[in-house]
Amino acid sequence: MISIGRAVRRARSFLTLRHRDRELDEELRLHVEMEADALARSGLDERAAREQAARRFGGIARHRDAARDARGIRAAEDFVSDVRVGLRALARQRAFTTVAVLTLGIGVGGTTAVFGTVYGILLAPLPYGDAGRIVTLWERDARARSERLEVSPGNFLDWRERARSFDGIAAAEPWSVDYIGREGPERFDAALVTAGYFDILRVQPLLGRTFRPEEHAQGQSQVVVLSERLWRSRFGADSSLVGRTLVLDSIPMTVIGVLPQAVEIPYAPDSWLPKVVRPDEREDRRSAYWTVIARLTPSATLDGGQAEMIALGQALAREYPSTNEHIGVTVVPLREALTGGASKGLWILFGAVGLVLVIACANVASLQLTQAVRRRREIAIRTAIGAGRGRIVRQLFAENVLLAAFGGVLGIAVAYWGIAGIRTIAPVDLPRVEELGVNGAVIGFALAATIATALAFGFAPVIEAGRVRLTESLGASGRTAGGARWTRRVNGVLVTAQLALALVLLVGAGLLVRSFQALLSVDRGFETHGVLATTMQTWSYYPVAAARIEYARASTARLRELPGVDASAMASSLPLTVPIGQERTAVTVPGEASTRPGEALPAHVTAVSAGFFTVLQIPLREGRVLDERDREGSAPVVVVNESFARRQWPAGSAIGRRIRFAYMGPPVDREIVGVVGDVRHDGLAADPRPSVFVPHAHGPTGAMHLLVRTSGDPRTLEPAVRRALLELNGAMPVSETATLDEQLASSLRERRFHLALLTAFACVAVLLSIVGVYGLISNATAARTHEIGVRVAIGASAATVVRLVLRQGAMLAVAGISVGVTVSLATVGLLRGMLFNVAPLDLPTFAVAVLTLLGASLVACWVPARRAAATDPARVLRQD
Amino acid sequence: MTAQPTDRLQGTLELLILRTLQGAPQHGWGIAQQIQLLSRDVLQVNQGSLYPALHRLEERGWIKAEWGTSDNNRRARFYRLSAAGRRQLEHETESWQAFVLAVSRVLRSA
Repeated sequence: MISIGRAVRRARSFLTLRHRDRELDEELRLHVEMEADALARSGLDERAAREQAARRFGGIARHRDAARDARGIRAAEDFVSDVRVGLRALARQRAFTTVAVLTLGIGVGGTTAVFGTVYGILLAPLPYGDAGRIVTLWERDARARSERLEVSPGNFLDWRERARSFDGIAAAEPWSVDYIGREGPERFDAALVTAGYFDILRVQPLLGRTFRPEEHAQGQSQVVVLSERLWRSRFGADSSLVGRTLVLDSIPMTVIGVLPQAVEIPYAPDSWLPKVVRPDEREDRRSAYWTVIARLTPSATLDGGQAEMIALGQALAREYPSTNEHIGVTVVPLREALTGGASKGLWILFGAVGLVLVIACANVASLQLTQAVRRRREIAIRTAIGAGRGRIVRQLFAENVLLAAFGGVLGIAVAYWGIAGIRTIAPVDLPRVEELGVNGAVIGFALAATIATALAFGFAPVIEAGRVRLTESLGASGRTAGGARWTRRVNGVLVTAQLALALVLLVGAGLLVRSFQALLSVDRGFETHGVLATTMQTWSYYPVAAARIEYARASTARLRELPGVDASAMASSLPLTVPIGQERTAVTVPGEASTRPGEALPAHVTAVSAGFFTVLQIPLREGRVLDERDREGSAPVVVVNESFARRQWPAGSAIGRRIRFAYMGPPVDREIVGVVGDVRHDGLAADPRPSVFVPHAHGPTGAMHLLVRTSGDPRTLEPAVRRALLELNGAMPVSETATLDEQLASSLRERRFHLALLTAFACVAVLLSIVGVYGLISNATAARTHEIGVRVAIGASAATVVRLVLRQGAMLAVAGISVGVTVSLATVGLLRGMLFNVAPLDLPTFAVAVLTLLGASLVACWVPARRAAATDPARVLRQD
Repeated sequence: MTAQPTDRLQGTLELLILRTLQGAPQHGWGIAQQIQLLSRDVLQVNQGSLYPALHRLEERGWIKAEWGTSDNNRRARFYRLSAAGRRQLEHETESWQAFVLAVSRVLRSA
């Protein structure tokens, strides 16, 4: 056992390591000197005495290590010394260190930033208790090929009564409430939730409580729960708000609680109110707009729940054939429902940035390899003075660890900025974006990536060092040092791999660019430029249909009069904009032989005012558009789009035919008076849906977009529009205004996001691999200086020499590009869902990527080629 | 206690060092010289073993080291015996003599 005294001494000698090391050196040196003095006294001349003394003593390094061993702290001491020597070595090779650390920082940082995004959105635990058992339930419509449609109240109530696989089923209905504050009326997004909604989520309120079962009854429901965001932004995080009364939609409601930020199901509302199910909703199986969540019982499985719901859906289809014939049920785990759309793109980005990290590793490995060859003599000398091979390998490894550590630190900084950048450019509908940040998991990933990186690029120089043969390296000059060929071959493989991966990224980015261009040039069917839209929920201010019709007429007339406004209109649904009310219906064609009785066609329905087609500049194909003639009480008419007309009557004209559908009332027969061009309503990439347009007077919805068209900048009209609408009704909030150009840009944000990141990765990849090519060719050329000197001496022209070097570079590039094309062909299918009007095997994209990389490689070879061509044969040949 | 040959050899060098330091403090080279001198050139201390042995002894607290000035005016590290070292020297000397006695008995009787 070690005594306390000895432990203290050991600790002290460790703490004073540096000092002790120096002392030991001095002591050993003194010994040699004294020996030399003694020998000199015995008659040897001074120089001989010194040599003999040194010989007797042997390698100082060995004695020093042995003496250290005696102190029993060798390992720890060696570690500190390795680090110190490593730092010195890195400081000596400043250029190399800078490039390596930057490369690693970009690789680790980029990967970490994207990991942080992937983690925050796809992997981080959901903020709900036992979230793995929460599922979402959706209707599916076999005809519309839609897997996840919102649920109608009638079906929801039946599910809730009959399903046995769940501890609870609850629904949220999108809603909004108007609040009149000091700055005038404003609208809060809200969700009406049925009983037990928060029990399913198992979420704890930040303040107060959530709804009690009895509050879901008529007369008991004047309570509201606010979101943390609204509570902070609008009410200054005042904790005395709970218990106070807010007037919402002209009704005094008691604030009973505040829910934490993280609750964003089905979306992120500002407030929650208890849903009171109305009697008419019991039988409503048509208006499907509820989001349904459920919690599996502890004994139920996802498959079991899915099977039960499918059976239940079939039962309802038999019981209610008129509405439910084609309606099934889909069960989707909550996490998938939240992130489904985003996950594929994010994983692809993660894969892409992973390739960048691999390229960065390969780059640093090849840099190090080159460096290791240069350091051969240093290593040989250290071996000669007694450092063991293990010691040297450890030393090199310590340098790698240091490099990786610096790279890692830089990487975390890069990741920090990267995640901030991603948050700014991320598409608005990317879930949980607000939670993104550098957290423990992200730092952990950065550390793991750093360690993996150190191992990945560290192997090369270590193997290289193991190959150093003492006599060879000391005897030979740097130029002919043995083993350089091996090094260059490994280096060649590394650079080839970099070029190959860079090509894969270039092809991916190229395909996204081509898709984006195709998307921008696609015929969208309407004109976004010059249009400003405001959104009004008029339901609670104009409960009578006639009043809503009058409001739509009066407001559009009023807006039309504003200076700078060329045209105005009202619509219940806008392209590229989130739904604000009902926009689906099922159309039947009475008396048509081709359709079975009751066979309904799903269609998109919009109530519009006269002038709508003018404001959006949707072209008329046939018949007439809706106008002032289509008023309350006039004959029911409808305008359809080309998709609808073509699907229903592929041969003949649609004009004059009658179709039947329900919108804001019971099903009505309506006559088709016009056919208009298709509009890409659901985004530029989505094919137009069959759509019908009814006069607002025949479908008096309270959810309205009010539109104005101007020849100038529509944003400048906003204050005037706001003022005009408040003059018309001072109590009704005018909250959301947006130009259609903004909506268009926002609909493209996800693609733009993927495009921006993938393009950035591809650029970094090309840059890194070009640095790799440059380094390799420079070295290869330097190693051939002698040969080139001879060639020049016997008459080779500068052009010949340049060609010689370029050919070498071109061979390298062609090898890398060939591998890259092969890999791209195999992996490009992954992008299929992200492309638009571009085949994954798009020839122009591949051609441009190949030429870009080839060109860049040759440019990288140009400098060493010129340098080689300038070789002075006389000087080179004199060197030997 | 079974003494392995290497232990014994190492122990012997340590014993010699302790003995050398019984008088005045001495530096490494001086210790080596003195051992060589006293053994009439029979024992030549390998420097590779000398310094590890010195550090081992120092770590065990049997000798203490301090910097001083050598005869020819150079900074040198001088070692001197500590109280514990003095006790250890007595103990080791006894055990060495017992060992030598035992070995010579065996050799004589053979």
